[in-house]
Parts: sequence; structure tokens; C-alpha cells
Amino acid sequence: MTIPMKRILFLLAALLLTLSAAAQNGKSIYQKYSDAENVSAVYISPAMFRLIGRIPDVETGDGKVNLSPVIRSLSGMYIINSENAAINENLRNEAERFIKSGKYELLMEAKDQGETVRMYTVGTEKLINGFVMLAAEQNEVTFICLDGQMPRDEFEKLVSEQLAN
Amino acid sequence: MKTLEEIENLSPEELESKAAEKPAAVPEGLQERIRLALSAQEIVQERRRKTPLWVPFSALAVAAAAATLLILPQRGPKDTFDDPLLAYAEVEKTFQTISEKMSAGVDIAREASASVDFPQTVIDRIQSK
Repeated sequence: MTIPMKRILFLLAALLLTLSAAAQNGKSIYQKYSDAENVSAVYISPAMFRLIGRIPDVETGDGKVNLSPVIRSLSGMYIINSENAAINENLRNEAERFIKSGKYELLMEAKDQGETVRMYTVGTEKLINGFVMLAAEQNEVTFICLDGQMPRDEFEKLVSEQLAN
Repeated sequence: MKTLEEIENLSPEELESKAAEKPAAVPEGLQERIRLALSAQEIVQERRRKTPLWVPFSALAVAAAAATLLILPQRGPKDTFDDPLLAYAEVEKTFQTISEKMSAGVDIAREASASVDFPQTVIDRIQSK
């Protein structure tokens, strides 16, 4: 094999690797695993989030927590809950690769009774562009991915308010 | 001595006869150099011939795959809910789940903090006596 040919192949391989890394996101993970057996999946599109934002007086059952500011800032939600042992490891590995390639920062990690929960965010000090929660038990993996432009203080307030209820 | 213009105006036959009149001396080692140059050319051509056919084809296939990934429009998944109220309820449930998981983490941190505080309290008491 000539040297220029080797260079071309190397460049193409690098291009493919970059493409595959770039292609890895909440949507691709959702599309890959949402139809598998023993998997429950939820996807809410940006259009649906816009519709939710137009519902007047949206509030939770007890009326204490206002989700509206965060909901209006969301543009996509992907949830995969898998109890399929055959895919759990792959799902977890792919989610971790996505987290790494997406430059997510670890927000919290908790290990309790065989369950490991990790939460990650990506964005700036004031704005969250993405949130990922990955919870893994022996037989169950949950992947939650939120996309949007969420004000960090609103998001943290919402989670802490939910926590208080 | 002929000028350049005169030489250029000579016919090929005249040039040939002039060359035959006074044969030029062959530089020393020219034959060896020509032989080496021809051998080198032969080696290069041999290597080119040996490059397997699959290499350019596989390179083309990889390029085509990359182009397909870039060009093809990425179709999005279908919305799980048609009703915004149901979607809203799901979002609320999701935030509840996130909070619960976070709450578990906070509880663990509190327990750890209490375990750290206890020896500190004992040390403080001893020191105050």
C-alpha cells in the first residue's frame, strides 16, 4: 500500500470516527433502543413542548410547583427505561460515550443499594443546554435526556421544590 | 561556429549528417546510470501493480458511507403523546423522578456528614474540658 493511500484511509477512518461520535446523542440512543423488548420509552418533541407551553395555567396536582419556565425552555425529552438484560450494558455504555463526547459535567453521583445514579449537565454557569440522568441497577437502566436552553437557577429551583414536596 | 538561429533552420537530415561527422564522446558511466534508472522505474511500476484492488474500492466505500451519513436527512422519532396535557404529566413525572434520585444522593451526603460531625463533636468536648 502506498503512503498517500494509507494517509487517505487514515483520514477517512478519522472522519468516520468523528461522524459516529457526533451522531451519538439522546435522539440516536432513543431511536436505537426504544423499540427493544422490555423497554419503555418516551419522547417529547420540541413541537409538543411548544404546545405544552401554550396550555394556560399549567400547574402540578398540588399547585405548589411551577414547571412552566423550564418547560418553555425545553426542546426535547428522551426517556429510555430498560429491563432487558441483553441490551442494558450496551445502553449504559452508549449513554456514557454520549456523555463524554458531549462534554457533560458530572452534577451528582449517588450509589445506594446496588443502584448507581449519575446526573450530568452541559452548558454555562447561567444556562443548561442539556441534562442527562443515568440510573443503573442490576436489571434495570434508566436514561433521561433533556435538551433545551434552561436557565440554571430555574432548573435547580424546580428540582429542589420537587424535592421539598 | 553556427548561430542558434542557423542550427534551428537545419533539417533533421542535415542535423543527422552533422552528428555523424563528429561522434560525441559518451560520458563515463552513462550506461550504468541508465540501467539503474530503468531498474528503479521497473521497481516503482511493480509496486504500483502490487497495490491490492480492494484498497481504492474500500476507500471509495468509506467515503460513500461518510457522505451518506452527512447528506441523508435525520428523521426524528415520533412523539409518544398526542395530547399536550398527557405530555405535561409525563414531564412532571420525570422531574419527580429526577428529584427523588437527587434526594437519595442528598440523604447519603447528610448521613456521611453526620458521621463526620460526630467524632468532631467528641474532639471538641474533650478539648473544652
